[in-house]
Amino acid sequence: MGIKTLGICLVIAGFGMWGLLGARRTDKRVRQLKYLRIALGFLEKEITYMQTPLSHAMKRTGIFTDVEVAGLFKECAAQLEKKSGVTGNEAWQSGLKTLKRESELKPLELELLASVGPQLGVSDRIEQQKFFILIQQELKMLEETAAQEAEAGRKIWSYGGFILGGVIVILLL
Amino acid sequence: MTGDKEMVNQQIIPYLSPPIKKIIMHLDESLFTSLEEIRLRSGQPLVMKIGEADYAIDIKGKLAQDFRNTYVVTGEDIYRTIASLSDNSLYAFEEEIKRGFITVKGGHRAGLAGQVVMEGNQVRTIKDFSGICLRIAREIKNCAEPVLKNVIPGSGQIMNTLIISPPRCGKTTFLRDITRNISLSGQRNVVVVDERSEIAGCYRGIPQLDIGPRTDVLDACPKALGMIMAVRSLSPQVIIADEIGRTEDAEAIQECINAGVSVISSVHAGNMQELSRRPVMKNLLEQKLFQRGIVLSRRQGPGTVEEIIRWA
Repeated sequence: MGIKTLGICLVIAGFGMWGLLGARRTDKRVRQLKYLRIALGFLEKEITYMQTPLSHAMKRTGIFTDVEVAGLFKECAAQLEKKSGVTGNEAWQSGLKTLKRESELKPLELELLASVGPQLGVSDRIEQQKFFILIQQELKMLEETAAQEAEAGRKIWSYGGFILGGVIVILLL
Repeated sequence: MTGDKEMVNQQIIPYLSPPIKKIIMHLDESLFTSLEEIRLRSGQPLVMKIGEADYAIDIKGKLAQDFRNTYVVTGEDIYRTIASLSDNSLYAFEEEIKRGFITVKGGHRAGLAGQVVMEGNQVRTIKDFSGICLRIAREIKNCAEPVLKNVIPGSGQIMNTLIISPPRCGKTTFLRDITRNISLSGQRNVVVVDERSEIAGCYRGIPQLDIGPRTDVLDACPKALGMIMAVRSLSPQVIIADEIGRTEDAEAIQECINAGVSVISSVHAGNMQELSRRPVMKNLLEQKLFQRGIVLSRRQGPGTVEEIIRWA
């Protein structure tokens, strides 16, 4: 009887934990979109006010950005610092591969970020600023959508895990 | 000469797009010693000016004066070369682009062609680049040796001097060497007002070419404005400025000379007759502000001294 009770508890707790982790992942995605938006704002200032060369601007953004998304900027800076003829776009796409591995972002969000690459450093300050403002606005919209999804999903994931665990226990019994 | 090869290998070739880099690597390096320009024009052959002649280059790195069946520059080549030249940061070169060129490490210049965007009467930027002209900057130390005693006579006073020549005859190289020699000899402060960044070849404000230990540079500064600024703030004994010709330049020169500062400058003209036909220059010569004139040509190669004129 004792073993059976322990088993039931373990199944429910296991599924419950899985659900809680799922809920955390949805929150993480919202947070990462916010960090990326702030980081792009920082990069915009480096480019438009400081006129920092792109490799250095990326490096600084990587340092001042939360570790969850810093990989994008650090990898991009590392590629540019090689000075081997890599373009801003190629370096950015390489950084995005790192971000894809390390983040919870969805394909649509990664696609929006990919559109930043071809514009990096190829125009004057005014044009760069316009583009960065636009991207930040679009990221804000994605962030709001992600927040709504997270709000709805959080309860489903949190309770869903325990409920699923309970259902499986009943079925097994 | 080995220096020239190294210079081209280290300071020019790395900026080129990978396909062009690959082709040029096949070239005989001894040609680099007389390489003057590399021209990239989208959809046109890659052209290299070596000595006095233009050559196209085939994919095996063979030079040809017949431009057929040679490497054709692509839009991608232009894009990648511009990206390298600007360190992927065109926004950091706005002022240079407005002037039509980017100066890179070593003082070399990349002239830019493309669509010019205007704002009122001013150039705002150049976009959609279609051509790049990479001009290799070379210092020829002591090239001005034959004329130095006319510019710096024994008395110690520096003569107000005008170097006169058509383009590509070595005016700027002469001016740079005179600057270096004045800066090295005696206790004189020299200011170079380098509107086109050609004399000192500044890269991010630092002169890339040897202009001597007592020389300050006002880089990318309009000549007339720079000469007055220099007199007020840098207490020079000598001011150097390239390619004068506007009324305001003449006024600034007059101001400097009247303030006791010697001026050495250059001007575009084939000879004295041509120079006298330019109203601003005619007026300046009539005032006898300049004491020496040095006429250069390419008759026996760049920097051939044709005539030394003593106006005073």
